[in-house]
Amino acid sequence: MATDELNQRIQQRFPDRGITVEPFEGLAGRVLFPPAAALELFRFLRDDRSFHHLSFVAGVDWKSEREVVYALWSDTERDYLLLSTRVDASDPHLESATSVWPSANWHEREAWEMVGIRFDHHPDLRHLLMPDGYEFHPLLRSFKLHEPEELEVKVRHV
Amino acid sequence: MSEMWINMGPQHPMTHGLWNLRVRIEGEIILDADPEMGYLHRGIEKISEDRHYNEIITLMDRTCYVAGIAWEHLYIQAAEQALHVTPPERAEYIRVLTEEMQRLASHIMWYAAFVQDLGLMSPFLYGMRDRDLLLDIFQSFTGGRLTYEYMRVGGVRNDLPPGTTAQVRQTMDWLMDRFVEYDRLCLGSDIFRRRCDDIGVLKANDCVTYGVTGPMLRAAGVARDLRKDRPYAVYDQLEFDVARADSADVTGRYLVRLQEMRQSVRILRQVVDWLDGHPGPVMAEHVPRWLGAPYAPIGREGYLVKRSYPKGLGFSAIEEPHGEAAAYVVNEGGEHPYRVKFRSPVFVNLSAVKKYLVGYRVADIPPILGSVDVCVGEVDR
Amino acid sequence: MSAPSASVSAPAPSPSASGTPSSAALEPAVPFIEIEGLRTEQFIPAAKEALSSLIAEQAQGKLIRPVFNWAGRNSLFPLHWGLACCAIEFASAFGARFDAERFGIVPRSSPRQCDLLIVNGTVTWKVAHKLITLYEQMPEPKWVIAMGNCATGGGPFRTAYSVVPGVDKLVPVDIYIAGCPPRPEALLDGILKLEELIRERGE
Repeated sequence: MATDELNQRIQQRFPDRGITVEPFEGLAGRVLFPPAAALELFRFLRDDRSFHHLSFVAGVDWKSEREVVYALWSDTERDYLLLSTRVDASDPHLESATSVWPSANWHEREAWEMVGIRFDHHPDLRHLLMPDGYEFHPLLRSFKLHEPEELEVKVRHV
Repeated sequence: MSEMWINMGPQHPMTHGLWNLRVRIEGEIILDADPEMGYLHRGIEKISEDRHYNEIITLMDRTCYVAGIAWEHLYIQAAEQALHVTPPERAEYIRVLTEEMQRLASHIMWYAAFVQDLGLMSPFLYGMRDRDLLLDIFQSFTGGRLTYEYMRVGGVRNDLPPGTTAQVRQTMDWLMDRFVEYDRLCLGSDIFRRRCDDIGVLKANDCVTYGVTGPMLRAAGVARDLRKDRPYAVYDQLEFDVARADSADVTGRYLVRLQEMRQSVRILRQVVDWLDGHPGPVMAEHVPRWLGAPYAPIGREGYLVKRSYPKGLGFSAIEEPHGEAAAYVVNEGGEHPYRVKFRSPVFVNLSAVKKYLVGYRVADIPPILGSVDVCVGEVDR
Repeated sequence: MSAPSASVSAPAPSPSASGTPSSAALEPAVPFIEIEGLRTEQFIPAAKEALSSLIAEQAQGKLIRPVFNWAGRNSLFPLHWGLACCAIEFASAFGARFDAERFGIVPRSSPRQCDLLIVNGTVTWKVAHKLITLYEQMPEPKWVIAMGNCATGGGPFRTAYSVVPGVDKLVPVDIYIAGCPPRPEALLDGILKLEELIRERGE
């Protein structure tokens, strides 16, 4: 099993860092890691495990904490790997992956814009899809959608 | 000479969609490029959180409007994994049929729009003519030309009507002859060669570093194709080759796409042969009936609220016409997905725009960006 | 056989003309040249006659409007602008099968050359002011077609935080075309409906 082998290698390389690998159907596995181990783990996966291609970075809002999901692809293993870490919602920030995978640039901009996770040492963390100065993070669970009729009533009262 | 920034977009014949390419130029030479996206951001990922699993299929068609059914396939695979549903084999073959036909339609649409940008008008007319033939087949079993809403969690909505496979065969024979014409029109044209050769070069190393996928990557000599490398649906039972070129320029991307179309025809011929010999159900038996029910049946108002479903995570990746697309679905047991994330190939290909634009001339921008095959709907989502 | 010829006659009463139909019949406000339905060989002498009378009448500002109306509605130039899904069907309408150019509809890339804005897709708040700018850059007289459900009322994205629920919140719309997306035939029908509307308004 690729998942078991990966787990062994990670435990050898990062003993007692709280990194676990769980199996994921159809994928090489799902790695849960603490935010502090981010960059070391990324470099290890890229250089030693040939995960050269970052597929996407996604933010998920779990109310009390926010999850960042990375999907990696390896051309030699021909498989995907999911990484997942959780940061506290009161001050959600994480080390940027752009120094390891430059393609993380726009994904992290989008994750910051939509879910509000700040990426430290990101070269250019500004709005990507919404206009400059947009104050909300739409993909948070607390952000609700409205029918346009409801919106119009609100505007009229203002 | 002084430098200046110019905006190309959001209304510009080059952009093929709603985005703004800001380039810093000195004379004719491009020094810097900064795309400005988001003019078509419709919040598809947010709306998906308020919708039933089957209702999201409607949004998927509109996410990438030139390759709608490929995105349905992408989402459906992730949703089925999150909901623990397995589709029957015939449905998988029909999905592959639709996806490859969509790849043909998307590439022909690209061909029509791209070559028109270079100043050749007749390829647009020929391309749209041939694309309409494919859309006719789509229309005969999905009812739509662009937006199909054809796939469902657990299968597809309906089986193919009689005569569809014969129509597919006939159209494929017609298209194979047309590809020769396409090549004669373009590769035989001096204008085309002068405007495309050695333009917009993005080498394999840069492609991998910046996450560029799809025909751009294969034109740089890397034969990565998820249909081959990580076969989903029934691609492992079909014979085809991965198209690639080595020049890494605009002509290389053209050659890769033309080669891919020929391979799609090859796949489609195998698929219709299989479909003719294997009738069967197109919907899984154990699909929760409530999936996608927009309201409760009369007299059973409590019916929708109390159900729950085992939690799950879904991940899928397909080789969309533009490149590698991925979906990530979080199912927290409710009737709506908790979170849906889509990875758009053009989103990433465009984020590296500075790499393959800087150093070329302003007049090279339309061919280079045409060869990227921008679909803004999936970039902004 | 009564061949129609160019003749100056009383105009058909139109709702936009000032006064009631009876007063318009008493005093023809605008002389009207019947150049509808002329055959090709009849057209050139009729046009010559119309032009010669046009020069005479133009000094009084009477005749120019119906001629411009006829010419303008038969050669609508839409802005070449693809917003979203409907733009693909918009392109299909100019393809080989539907061939919208036989109706004199030629897309132009500059708003200064256009008199028709076809809003073919979802309008977001980020692009709203750019759409208004483009509309204002178009010379008068100008018309707007809201193509598809998104431009008409937001469509499937009406609840989204970034979408304008209907382009008529931003610019005045003359023709709404339903469909998601409308077929190219529907777009052509909408443009023909717009031509009728322009004729009725007599602008």
